[in-house]
Amino acid sequence: MNEEQRPDKLSARNVSVMYEKDDTSFLAVDDVSMTIQEGEFVVIVGPSGCGKTTFMNTFAGLVRPAKGKVYMDGEEITGPSAERGVVFQQFALFPWKTVSENIEFGLKYRGIPKEQRDEIVKKYVQLIKLEGFEKSYPHELSGGMKQRVAIARVYANRPQVLLMDEPFGALDAQTRTIMQEDLSGMFLTEKRTVLFITHSVDEAIYLGDRVVIMTARPGKIKKIIPITRENLIPDRRQMRYDDVVNLKEFLELKADIWGLIKAEILEKHIL
Amino acid sequence: MSRSAENFWDKVYREKTVLSLSSVLGFLALWHLATDILGLMPAIVLPSPEKVFFTIYEKILAPVGEEKLFGHIGVSLVRILVGVGIALGLAIPLGILMGWYEDLDSMASPIIEVLRPIPPIAWIPLAILWFGIGLGSKVFIIAIGVFFPTLINTYIGVKFVDPLLIKAAQTLGAKDKDILWEVVVPASVPLIVAGVRIGVGLGMMCLVAAELVAASTGLGYLIMLGGDDLKPELSITGMILIGILGLLADRVILRFERRVIYWKKE
Repeated sequence: MNEEQRPDKLSARNVSVMYEKDDTSFLAVDDVSMTIQEGEFVVIVGPSGCGKTTFMNTFAGLVRPAKGKVYMDGEEITGPSAERGVVFQQFALFPWKTVSENIEFGLKYRGIPKEQRDEIVKKYVQLIKLEGFEKSYPHELSGGMKQRVAIARVYANRPQVLLMDEPFGALDAQTRTIMQEDLSGMFLTEKRTVLFITHSVDEAIYLGDRVVIMTARPGKIKKIIPITRENLIPDRRQMRYDDVVNLKEFLELKADIWGLIKAEILEKHIL
Repeated sequence: MSRSAENFWDKVYREKTVLSLSSVLGFLALWHLATDILGLMPAIVLPSPEKVFFTIYEKILAPVGEEKLFGHIGVSLVRILVGVGIALGLAIPLGILMGWYEDLDSMASPIIEVLRPIPPIAWIPLAILWFGIGLGSKVFIIAIGVFFPTLINTYIGVKFVDPLLIKAAQTLGAKDKDILWEVVVPASVPLIVAGVRIGVGLGMMCLVAAELVAASTGLGYLIMLGGDDLKPELSITGMILIGILGLLADRVILRFERRVIYWKKE
């Protein structure tokens, strides 16, 4: 497969975002330009508070850039759309809706008839291994289950682009590993364009085709590491997470990326 | 839950019931002691509990003024139900719309902010002028009392829905109208119900106030009559019945609350 020939799915051109707080405005994102190709899995890592989420929200249409523009398929993004599904860090499930109803939510607005919606919901309940919990409410689920519902809700809606904001941040280590493997598997079977934020370097390398390292305050792109294209770690998505993180190639990459982030943290005195 | 645990909680519950019952009985005994036995208060000022219960028993089917005791209860009940119904029918939709549409909020807020602090009983003279001394004026006063707490709570409920839920709905393809009915309204239900509960409590006060001033029926009238005729047992009868009515109303709302916000963590 020739990666270079894929069309651009998302692109940001000279995007700057201002952030208002207590009557002063900060520059949260500073002149960022990047493109994400169709079917590509891009991961952004960077120190906390570096504007990763703000930058992603411009693609979601939830934040308007102060300068520059964001595009999907060459068309300017001016507001939220079901074509760009967002998995929020804090799940954002509707607490008065059951697991099934949460997953079904977006399908109604796509005009999909009821029987077909039921089928899709059933399929995704199976995919996230929550059979038997269809009629449970979010408060009856564990953190990992909630997060899987949030992911299924977005997947079921079949958006062209998935924006995932530290989706596993609230999970314990074991659940997180299972979720990472699940997502990796789902990505292989469902092939979508994904932009993924994390502060875990391991997660970034395991999941990403490319890893984008952002600088701290204001957020800029420090470096982009093309993992898949340069075949730095072959076939990792078919492997178990624990096996991947012990590969020699993985450890070298991790050291490189950590070095970049650490330099950033020390340089800007954030700790 | 295991059997022994069940028994344990049964026992605690029984003990609680025993404690509650004995405190009520103790209260009645003290009351009895102060009036009948020690005569600390003359019967014309504070009748004994037996006398009050006998009055209730005697008057259930015997006329007091224009109505039997049951009739007075019924009249008060109708007034409160109609008043609450009208107030909720207006306050909840208005609160939802004000919370959602900022223009409406800017238009309605100044008027509401001035009207809200006026105690409902201050409306009594106008209510009588406008609606006479029949059902209308009482319902109006009660509705005023229920209206504002319900309106404010609904408004706040809608205004402060977790913005993350709205963002989630937007990115799933819901439009503004869908978001209002599918996300904002359900999310505000807990606060709306809390407002109704406060409102109904205030409505009970307004009921009594309205009946004290201008009525020849109802529990408030009974309380007033007891004072006028120097029959404190009548006043106490009215007060006890109002208390029971208020308690029942609160229980009904609590039940309803548990049913509609099943999805909240205890």
